[in-house]
Amino acid sequence: MSIRKKLVLMQVFTTVLVLIIMMIVFIASDIKEYKLRKVDSMLGIAQVLGTNSISMLQFQDQAAAIEMLAQLHNVSPEIIAAEITNNHGQVFARYPAAGEPEFSLAAGMKENSLFRNSRLLIKYPIISSKEKIGDIHLIVQLTELQKLMKSTYKVALFLLLLSVGFAFLVAFFIQSYVSRRLLNLVRTMKKAVSTGEYTVTIADEGKDEIGTLIQVYSKLMEQIKENEKKKDEFIGIASHELKTPLTTVKGYIEMLKLMETEHPKIDFVESAFKSVLKLEDLIKDLLDVSKIESGQLQLAMENFDISRLVDATISSVQMISATHNIVRKGQMENEIIYGDIKKIEQVLTNLLSNAIKYSPGEQKVIVEVEKDEKELTIKVRDFGIGIPVEEHSFIFERFYRTKGSSVHISGFGLGLYICRDIIRRHNGKIWIKSMEKGTTFIFSLPISKKTQIV
Amino acid sequence: MNKILVVDDDTDILGLVEMLLNSHHYKVRAISRWQEIDNSIDNFKPDLVLLDVSLGGADGREICKKIKSEKETASLPIILFSANPEMGKFLKECHAQSFIPKPFELKNLLGTISHYLNPIN
Repeated sequence: MSIRKKLVLMQVFTTVLVLIIMMIVFIASDIKEYKLRKVDSMLGIAQVLGTNSISMLQFQDQAAAIEMLAQLHNVSPEIIAAEITNNHGQVFARYPAAGEPEFSLAAGMKENSLFRNSRLLIKYPIISSKEKIGDIHLIVQLTELQKLMKSTYKVALFLLLLSVGFAFLVAFFIQSYVSRRLLNLVRTMKKAVSTGEYTVTIADEGKDEIGTLIQVYSKLMEQIKENEKKKDEFIGIASHELKTPLTTVKGYIEMLKLMETEHPKIDFVESAFKSVLKLEDLIKDLLDVSKIESGQLQLAMENFDISRLVDATISSVQMISATHNIVRKGQMENEIIYGDIKKIEQVLTNLLSNAIKYSPGEQKVIVEVEKDEKELTIKVRDFGIGIPVEEHSFIFERFYRTKGSSVHISGFGLGLYICRDIIRRHNGKIWIKSMEKGTTFIFSLPISKKTQIV
Repeated sequence: MNKILVVDDDTDILGLVEMLLNSHHYKVRAISRWQEIDNSIDNFKPDLVLLDVSLGGADGREICKKIKSEKETASLPIILFSANPEMGKFLKECHAQSFIPKPFELKNLLGTISHYLNPIN
């Protein structure tokens, strides 16, 4: 059942319930009041009759008494029977002569009124000079009440039906305010899902929970759109970057194909291979980034000697760099830290190769390792083109490459993004300092408890 | 012998194209820094320019427009070069003669260059 129907039924049900309760209460109190008034007026009549019958009783004038009671009936036909009894309960006068079955209850009555079946039985003492000389009993037929009740019920039912109809109408209009907004939202959502377009916005100024729901939905859609945009951008840049080394590989290999097979030129093979390696690096970076984005990058933590790692990394990078001289400043013996040795090596290699890439010509690169009681700090200093202050906040972002050099420096601009992610996962920090000439990259790793080897 | 100026910020591609064109008997000047274009055109006086679109810090299309707008160089054939195939749509806008995508087919590269060096008309 739709929310719409539910809302309508809820409202109508509540209305009807309340109405019925109220009607019952009012009708019941009406009836009660009526009965009380009836009793009062009948008691009044009984009192008057009683007073009148004092002399009749005293002088045993039955005929006069019966006459009086008959008159009573003529005047008030609802009083269908009346009797006067003496102190011993014997009937003195009765009208009609046959009496009524209720009279038998009269003797046992403790109260002066009793409602039984649809009749009211009244008992009133006849008192003369403060002495009770008898009782007067009246039997009242409550036809008036019955008529009243019948008509009341009729009216009540009619009103109830009218109200139900009215309630439906009102409910219908009121619920439309709520469900219209919800249905609007649902319709928009369905459209967004089926067309894949997340651009449709909803105009809604309500400040209630539905308004909040719509706001949250809109934010969600914005996020999705943003993600799509980022994804498209990423794919665009990625394919452009991959095509560059691919061009070189394809060119050389095509040349080799066209040449005579007896004289393959080895330098074509070398050049092609160089570009293949570049491609390999690019793809590795891409995979790392996509793992980071999808939260899949796992760290394999262990205790290792950072000092030895630094020395080893410097040697391996130095081996493939003829132009630069990588020097380690200061010396530190066996410093054990807890971390992912391969990933830290990746960070070091990246910083060192950046230092080389961005300092053309024959240059020095200085690596320094420092330690205090809380953390270990590693600095990589180059004397190259440097990074302008305006770019400091951007260089760790994806695809960012400093604009300082006009020569194409291969790479997506993902290396530092990956480094930052690795260092952060180690609860460390990474930042840069621009020097007069060149840049210093600094990262720190906490010396965790696990490394306190006693 | 025809002279070709090649401009591309990727030194590997520059090397490849230079070698390729050299081996097909063209005289080649290959530069990676776009700032040197004007100088090279003045000194080397190329018969055709092969111009990369995404040059670190500059847009090849703008450079093409500029070269074409100057009287002395307006008739110099320029071929745009890019890994982004969408760049081919900008030919009219910057008055370039043709577009070659990266990676390219040797035949395509050589054929386009020779076509614009020896116009049929």
